Amino acid sequence: MDNLAKHLLQRLMRRIPASMLKSTLDKWGRLTAEKRKSLDFTQSKWTITQELVALYVTENPNQGMWHTFQLLDPEDDAHSVELMQFKEQFKSHLSELKRNVSVKIKKHTDEAVWIRVAWGDGLSRPNHLKATYVVHYLQTPYVFVNALSSKNKPLLLQALTLSTKHQQIKAANLSGQKLTALRDLLMRQYQQVFPTKYPSPLPEKLRIEKVQAEASASRHRMAGETFGDGMLPALQSAFFQLETKFKDPTNEAMTQRDEPFICSVKFSSSNLLESLRHCASSGIASTPVTPLLSSIPLKGRNYFVITDNVPTA
Amino acid sequence: HRWLIPTEKTPSRPCPQSSLLHRPLEKVKPEHLALLVKTEWQLSYVTPLYQFRHTQLKTYARQLSAFIAAEKQQGLAVEVGGLQNTFKVSFSVLQGLAETNDDPETVLIQVQSKPMFARQEDPPKTVWSGWLSCINGNPEYLQSLPKDFTCLPLFCSKGAEGLSSLVKSWLQRTFDCCFGPLDINQTTLQWLAALWTNCHMETNIQKLKMIWTLPVVPPLQVTYTVDSDDALELWRSTRESSAEKSRGAEDEVCIDFSEVTRFMQGLMSHFYRHFRVDLSAGELNQVSSALGSAKLNGKIKISSSRYLISIFSLLTECALLKMPI
Repeated sequence: MDNLAKHLLQRLMRRIPASMLKSTLDKWGRLTAEKRKSLDFTQSKWTITQELVALYVTENPNQGMWHTFQLLDPEDDAHSVELMQFKEQFKSHLSELKRNVSVKIKKHTDEAVWIRVAWGDGLSRPNHLKATYVVHYLQTPYVFVNALSSKNKPLLLQALTLSTKHQQIKAANLSGQKLTALRDLLMRQYQQVFPTKYPSPLPEKLRIEKVQAEASASRHRMAGETFGDGMLPALQSAFFQLETKFKDPTNEAMTQRDEPFICSVKFSSSNLLESLRHCASSGIASTPVTPLLSSIPLKGRNYFVITDNVPTA
Repeated sequence: HRWLIPTEKTPSRPCPQSSLLHRPLEKVKPEHLALLVKTEWQLSYVTPLYQFRHTQLKTYARQLSAFIAAEKQQGLAVEVGGLQNTFKVSFSVLQGLAETNDDPETVLIQVQSKPMFARQEDPPKTVWSGWLSCINGNPEYLQSLPKDFTCLPLFCSKGAEGLSSLVKSWLQRTFDCCFGPLDINQTTLQWLAALWTNCHMETNIQKLKMIWTLPVVPPLQVTYTVDSDDALELWRSTRESSAEKSRGAEDEVCIDFSEVTRFMQGLMSHFYRHFRVDLSAGELNQVSSALGSAKLNGKIKISSSRYLISIFSLLTECALLKMPI
């Protein structure tokens, strides 16, 4: 939810009389009965406003910008951390690192643990309207974070590392708007189906057409093997910072240069993996697919720095 | 409409073989230049205007004001402000942009709007502007035109689409001309990429950014951004490789399109080496740098007045080529 929408919501909430709040939200009809029950109307309007925003964010995980982190070096008992323990530990570690924070943790039906951290400072109370959201699946190494300032970043990451019983956490170089796409890409939840047959080629006597059909079938197969078949997670972009030397046999002057040719490439699409798969199957991308592109689904990342020393980073 | 019948005198269109690099702009007033730069203009071409007189601009302003008011009365949506707005039109000459003796002077049209209940001291707001120009137009063609025709083939507009239509409509009926969209095609976009890179020798263009779309499902957009120093080195290497050029190649004011092609091929081959994706299978949609941006759908923005003449010379040439006659 962007700042303008939040601002509008606040103003609306202020103008609706407290006594009419519940009935207004009922009439509005956008919240399920279950969600409406979860709102405590004895609380202040400010608190209810914050809860509405929180509800909105959890219902719309494919907005905002999510960044992925990976937990490393698990301790021996890391795989046995369960929800209650994680909740207590996280709250305790975070409040030790910073006073005046408010933490709400809830597990959703799909096993995702949602953490909402509202940050306050010496002068003001924790503001849930500008909260940081964290999504983590227990016993997996990945954590997805939204709206985290650089000031609070080390505190949050440390609390996460300690409470999940790991020793390190690092950026996973995977970011995007759609939480579900990032999650599916990493959790390999999308179908990797390998179809057993392709359209059969044409009669034997038409050799050229047969060769073309075989080439096409081969491209389709390799495209599917690289990116997966069926529905693919809707990753929307990938960014490559290139710092490699220019090599072109037709251009001696540039090829002899010692310095790298600095450029960057960003691929964007409403579904990047499907676009890339189609590039491979249609021949726009030569197959086998280059490691730079296949790294996206294989390594689950969408940010790369490519230098001559590390060809696939 | 008075169409120009091609005669032996009207030459066939030449292909753009070269483009002139920057020329000093001492003759143009700074406040006029300020109106043109740092703004995104929508481009159209327009056929020669019949009996257009640079001396009649006040009359034209009055007539266009009346036309817009009349159209509004008829309920034609103008999309700007409330129904009570009054529109005031002004026509002026932007002197000094015309490069050659054959180029007619550039004409600027502005539409200002003032809400009816505004206070006297509130300045009216310019809600629409457009300008007609001919910069370095092909002299053979310009000289071949019958005396009563004024050729200002490049039309740039900015503002509400409704007002653009009204202005074009009035110009069409008053001067028997016709308008058409001037898309900036692949060739021109590539020219601009090379031109701007070349400008890096004098002005820091910061980066050369190119956006392609590839025809897959869903469509894939590729944004390829090159460091300006590296782009310039590549550009220089493609120019030096042409055997015909002398040592003073960089002082030449003319660029051959074959050099532009080699430059683009160099960029695409570097891309292919890493991604094994052939960018020429797609379409170049946009080119930009610190000096400006140009888009396939005919939108251009010039950020620095220094290269205004070269860019608009190129666009004048495109407009002349695009005309249906």
